[in-house]
Amino acid sequence: MSNVSNWSKAADLISAILLFIGAVNCLSGVIGLLRLPDVFTRSYAATNPQTFGMLMLLAGVALRLRSAFDLGTLALVAFFQLLTSAVAAHLVARAAYRTGLLGETPLLYDELGERPPH
Amino acid sequence: MSDDQPVPCGRRGRIDLPLIAWLTVIWMLLWSGATWGNLISGVVVAVVLCVLFPLPPVELGLRLRPLGILLLAKYLLHDIIAASHKVALLAWSGRVGPAAVVRVPLRCRTDLMLAATAVAVSSVPGGALIEVNAVTATLYLHVSDADDPENVARTRASVWRLERLVVRAFGTRDELERVRQEPPSVERDSLGDAP
Repeated sequence: MSNVSNWSKAADLISAILLFIGAVNCLSGVIGLLRLPDVFTRSYAATNPQTFGMLMLLAGVALRLRSAFDLGTLALVAFFQLLTSAVAAHLVARAAYRTGLLGETPLLYDELGERPPH
Repeated sequence: MSDDQPVPCGRRGRIDLPLIAWLTVIWMLLWSGATWGNLISGVVVAVVLCVLFPLPPVELGLRLRPLGILLLAKYLLHDIIAASHKVALLAWSGRVGPAAVVRVPLRCRTDLMLAATAVAVSSVPGGALIEVNAVTATLYLHVSDADDPENVARTRASVWRLERLVVRAFGTRDELERVRQEPPSVERDSLGDAP
């Protein structure tokens, strides 16, 4: 009996730690979104820490829920999150490049060559 | 999974069974209950969706290789952690070096492998995908801190590594043959020295 509750306490603790790590990662993503200078670096900030934070949050929630069906749903959330955030980041970066929103610092060089370097 | 004929999938106006099964599984997960009611309503919704919104025919050419998928997942997880760490540091410091748009020619040729590589590349530390040329199978990345040629070379190498891992996870034998070769040379590398 106490053994079982110890295991569930351990799972709760790990879950809390994972939720915390996830939240800190999402926070650093948001800070990056505010502080970084141009669209491209901001788009890294909007995707990478966010995605990792999301995965950590989902893992934390999974450890707390502990039901097979909910695990399936969480896996689905993770899958679509990974798939869609990559596509969204690409579309934002592509639109920014095509409309010339390259930020204050000029590009060192441009091998795509649709825009002449400054 | 061993024959190398690409399987035509999702043909217009046809009922595509794997797609219906997948949609039904999603439906049941979303309603979080494995009941007969969910199963039947899921199948009905999936069939109606497939009939109303038929997908264009896609040369799927997909193989599932469990070991490759595992290796890809491991590398991606590692990559995502490294990338988010780097971006977090960048966010707190707020300092970014000059950037460049870098061309990375790929070895694989099928649309699916190209798309999967492009999605995976989004998790590469410090590279935003700007353009994908499907005809020449070339990715264009926005790389920060490009004043360091080693950083650019490292980004290219990680894209090629991801390409190999993606093909090893999902590719046909033909594609596997291709990624075994050396990565194509990038002849405009010296452009970095131009002012």
